[in-house]
Amino acid sequence: MLLKASQLALGYAGQPLIKSVSFQVEPGEVLAVVGHNGSGKSTLAKTLLDVIPPISGTLEWPEGKPQSIAYLGQRTEFDRRFPIRVRDLAAMGAWQRLGLFGWLKEKDQDLVEYALERTNIAHIADQPLHVLSAGQLQRALFSRAIVQNTPLILLDEPFTAIDQTTESYLLGLIDDWAAEGRAIILVLHDLSAVLKHCTKALLLGNNEALFGSPHEVLTPTNLVDYGYLSQSQVGWLETMYADQAEVKQTNMKPKVLVNV
Amino acid sequence: MFEWLDYDFMKRALLATSILSLSVAPVGAFLVLRRLSLAGEAMAHAIVPGIVIAFVVAGLSVFSMIVGGLIAGVSVALFSVLLANKTIIREDASLASMYLLALALGIFILSAAGSAVPLKSFLFGSILGIGDDTLMLIGATAVITLISFAFILRPLIVSTIDPVFYESQLRRPWIVGHLFMFLVVLNLLGAFKALGTLMAVGLMILPATAARYWVSTITSYLILTFALALTSSWAGLIISFYVPKVPSGPAIVLVAGGIFIISLLFGPQGFRLASQVRRTSKRSAEKKTETAKTVLIQQKRNKVL
Repeated sequence: MLLKASQLALGYAGQPLIKSVSFQVEPGEVLAVVGHNGSGKSTLAKTLLDVIPPISGTLEWPEGKPQSIAYLGQRTEFDRRFPIRVRDLAAMGAWQRLGLFGWLKEKDQDLVEYALERTNIAHIADQPLHVLSAGQLQRALFSRAIVQNTPLILLDEPFTAIDQTTESYLLGLIDDWAAEGRAIILVLHDLSAVLKHCTKALLLGNNEALFGSPHEVLTPTNLVDYGYLSQSQVGWLETMYADQAEVKQTNMKPKVLVNV
Repeated sequence: MFEWLDYDFMKRALLATSILSLSVAPVGAFLVLRRLSLAGEAMAHAIVPGIVIAFVVAGLSVFSMIVGGLIAGVSVALFSVLLANKTIIREDASLASMYLLALALGIFILSAAGSAVPLKSFLFGSILGIGDDTLMLIGATAVITLISFAFILRPLIVSTIDPVFYESQLRRPWIVGHLFMFLVVLNLLGAFKALGTLMAVGLMILPATAARYWVSTITSYLILTFALALTSSWAGLIISFYVPKVPSGPAIVLVAGGIFIISLLFGPQGFRLASQVRRTSKRSAEKKTETAKTVLIQQKRNKVL
């Protein structure tokens, strides 16, 4: 097991965003984090990254804490006008291995080239960032995550303002990561993508949390209870579930693994 | 033609501005990249009361000037962050209020104390009458700045491009930003002695904005910023040597401004970029209509055949 969170209370002292959340992440798993705005998704990410401490509860790394965690945050503060080429942005992933003065070793250089090819942006590797489309920039940031080469990868809403082609391409990359034995924690709003690509789901909302398999957790009833969907939207969701192969599961009573 | 080289004061001024250019170039470049150009300008005025009080209390010594300037600069910076966080006004407004207050206070104290140092040298600097102690200050500033930059360059780049990612990867992410702001104040003090409070930021910001129009990698950007700062200082000094009554500070900044305008007009990322984008989008639009036309023609032909 890579990560075990037990009864974590998250947020800022005195005003927890999530009162108690427990979940586990195994290597090769893709964990989707779903929740309404302000439900604590980004706070959870920041807690895992050690940026803010949990209010209470424990966070264990049974196989040892990884040296670094690949992280792709929301791009609100990203500066696209900085004078740097796509290749250098990808190479930023190796930054922590370089220290203050070291140059890229041959192994890392190869990794950068591989990452650019894997994300299909090798042809624009020498372009400055400000000429890229949103999709190309996101591919470049995914290539940086490849270069980081970590056992755990954290992606916070990676497909916001990204076209469908790029989204499905990058979801394929996430599947590959999982197949390589990496664990991925993915904050996502696209429920159909969650059902298709994620092995576990964590539903956050109204200060509560629910963890389990996506089909157990993301039922229409739960999504309404946790404030993610309104009653009127559920009809559409049921249609979508009906289209999925696992249609039987939707009628099952949700198995509550964590409920507080 | 080179008679300006015969004068000792010119040699000193050229040496001082050359070292100053080396030191303020990276600082100015990152002020521009971190969207802090105006904050830098505000800080140049914010240090004035500290310098004036130090001058009135301890006389004309470089050491007291550094202490006074640093205290004033750091307290204005901290206080405006505090105002922005704890009250309704935003950071730019709080910083503007604080520096205006500081600048007025500085000039008020200077005038009230009946200072022997003319106001003009506070406003425009005194690069042509530069003493050994100021030369030492500028030299020490350059050494500290360049050594610090060797250490913080990479984290500074990462934190400027992607602050969210940067914070996720380091234990104490704030160190780099704080050290950078300290370097800004330190360099402002050196620039203040040479160019005065009104022009101090000129040699930092203008070469950095001008250089941005030409290059698109960080290394070439830093080198070009230095080259443009150096060119501006030398050209400005020589101009002020030949044109009587022109203070050297404004002359240097005016040359830097001229370089900025030339870069804006002819640099590949200046106005030319804008017109290029227009041209390509027009061309691609034309192409699209052409393709659409061809498709239509083909469809028609298919029908006929």
